[in-house]
Amino acid sequence: LTMSDMKPNEAPEGDENGEEKDWAAAKAFFENLKTNKPRPPKPRYAVTIAVSSRTLFNMVAERKIYEEDGMEKYVAYQVEHENEPLKPGAAFPFVKALMTVNARLRELYPDSEELFDIVLMTNNHAQVGVRLINSINHYDLTIERFCMTGGQSPIGYLKAYMTNLYLSKDSEKVTEAIEEGIAAATMFMPETEIKLSDTQLRVAFDGDAVLFSDESEIIVKQHGLDTFFEHEREFENKPLAQGPLKCFLEALGKLQRKFYAKNERMNCPIRTFLVTARSAASSGARVLKTLRSWGLEIDEALFLAGAPKGPLLEKIKPHIFFDDQMFHIEGAKELGTIAAHVPYGIGQKYHRGKLIEQPAKDK
Amino acid sequence: MVSTVRNPEAKQKDAQRALVVALTCQELFHLGGAEVSSSEPYAPGVAFPLLQAMQVVNERLLELNPEETLLFDVVLLAADCQQHQDRIIATTRHYGLDVSRFCFCSRDEFTHLLLRERTHLFLCTDARQVATASHTGVAAALLQPAPSRPTQQLRVLFCTDPADRPGTSQQVCQVAGLLGAMRSRLGVACGALSIILLTVQGGRESCGRALLTLRSWGLGVDEAYCLAGAPGGPALSLLAPHILFPDGSALQA
Repeated sequence: LTMSDMKPNEAPEGDENGEEKDWAAAKAFFENLKTNKPRPPKPRYAVTIAVSSRTLFNMVAERKIYEEDGMEKYVAYQVEHENEPLKPGAAFPFVKALMTVNARLRELYPDSEELFDIVLMTNNHAQVGVRLINSINHYDLTIERFCMTGGQSPIGYLKAYMTNLYLSKDSEKVTEAIEEGIAAATMFMPETEIKLSDTQLRVAFDGDAVLFSDESEIIVKQHGLDTFFEHEREFENKPLAQGPLKCFLEALGKLQRKFYAKNERMNCPIRTFLVTARSAASSGARVLKTLRSWGLEIDEALFLAGAPKGPLLEKIKPHIFFDDQMFHIEGAKELGTIAAHVPYGIGQKYHRGKLIEQPAKDK
Repeated sequence: MVSTVRNPEAKQKDAQRALVVALTCQELFHLGGAEVSSSEPYAPGVAFPLLQAMQVVNERLLELNPEETLLFDVVLLAADCQQHQDRIIATTRHYGLDVSRFCFCSRDEFTHLLLRERTHLFLCTDARQVATASHTGVAAALLQPAPSRPTQQLRVLFCTDPADRPGTSQQVCQVAGLLGAMRSRLGVACGALSIILLTVQGGRESCGRALLTLRSWGLGVDEAYCLAGAPGGPALSLLAPHILFPDGSALQA
């Protein structure tokens, strides 16, 4: 299984020649530049992370202008301030951590295209793009690819750029991406700031409805915990179906193995965590066995048996934490963890354990 | 033997102030294979959606300012089509197309005609004709075949790449300025016209510089895409422009 096998929605047949030509020309261009700037990897082999402008940078004040004063005033404001770099947003630490991993990978594998590729994927108008580019320059982020769609949906472009993970503030776009088979999550800025590692990318995942399908969560919601425990014990050896973030974990695992191959396991700059409300005793085995059946490793599996996730995450200090339930997202945020909501599965119909009343459809 | 016929149905534009766009008859309508004697209107050709989109832009501009003179002024060039003349004019009227004038000529008078009509922009699907026009001093761009999901929005794409012939013709700068002025009048929120920038090989720096260059010519870009070597084909089919200004040959087969 190669890196390119994990790309969703492959480029159409017959376009390989065009793809190769575009790639070769770009490679030559970058190699001829006088700077030491690392050139972007070949999309087919890279782990492509698309981030929106509002997740990469803090644009809360500017967003307010857009909502209150309209598009014209918003664009004019951005242009007026385009030489002032924006402040970092929720995805910023994650992006810096990706760059750290890339630097390590380039040291060990100077000719490999198996790297993180960071793409800016924004609905913003291209005139606002000047400020975004200036901000990226200011922080010296390695972002060479971007889409500023000026209002068009990004979903088609996500596929064209062979995106493995999409992060946005807009839950509608994120939902659309997941429906199209692209791992995606809505990012939230934490309420306090925790100092995160600058040498190791740390990614935490919830289990059900994130790495795995929501099949077990459906049982909890509809039949209660006792039924759930029985069911999980009975089906312990039957792997769960995969969830929207499974492929992303798989991509991380591929990159981790590149470090292990060079004897860098003790010093691996990627570490993954499973943070699940399941309990080790009664329902944890199925999860671990599922991961094993998929050939995936997770570095640390933490079973909370229903305890709140916030305090544990505070200790783990991930650059990003994925969960399908807003209850856990809020708990994480409160204690300073950067949380990303995965709007998938039965959990979206519930709030704090209660079924959300759907409004009756009007005729 | 050149003959120019005004279209009495169309409101004539002020050619000094308008953006004069030349299209070929063979691309606006399907002329081929039709019997000479028939009086049926021709079927729409590849340039039809483009013309409709330009008309919408004109309508929006006039809504904002009924005295507006910066409009698309469409000239239809017909080389070696003398025998179709009446039917071409009738077809134009049948569809209510905003074509100001028709120019009938022979093939070798074509480029002379472009200059005579003070064409700002010649649009054609044939890359060689586009190149010929450019060399003669008329800004020219590729007319793209209709996208699978047609749009009312006129989409104009500037393809820019660093590894290309340095400098751009003065005529392209002029067209960019006129388009930019139109775009400004419509306002950022207006969806009738979208100016798109695509960088195929270069990265952030190339694209950033191109954005500022176009801005310095008076043209504000709406959408910007930087591929830095990612496959151009899928991106281009998504972008679905009507008009493509090729700065290099990166996107041509």
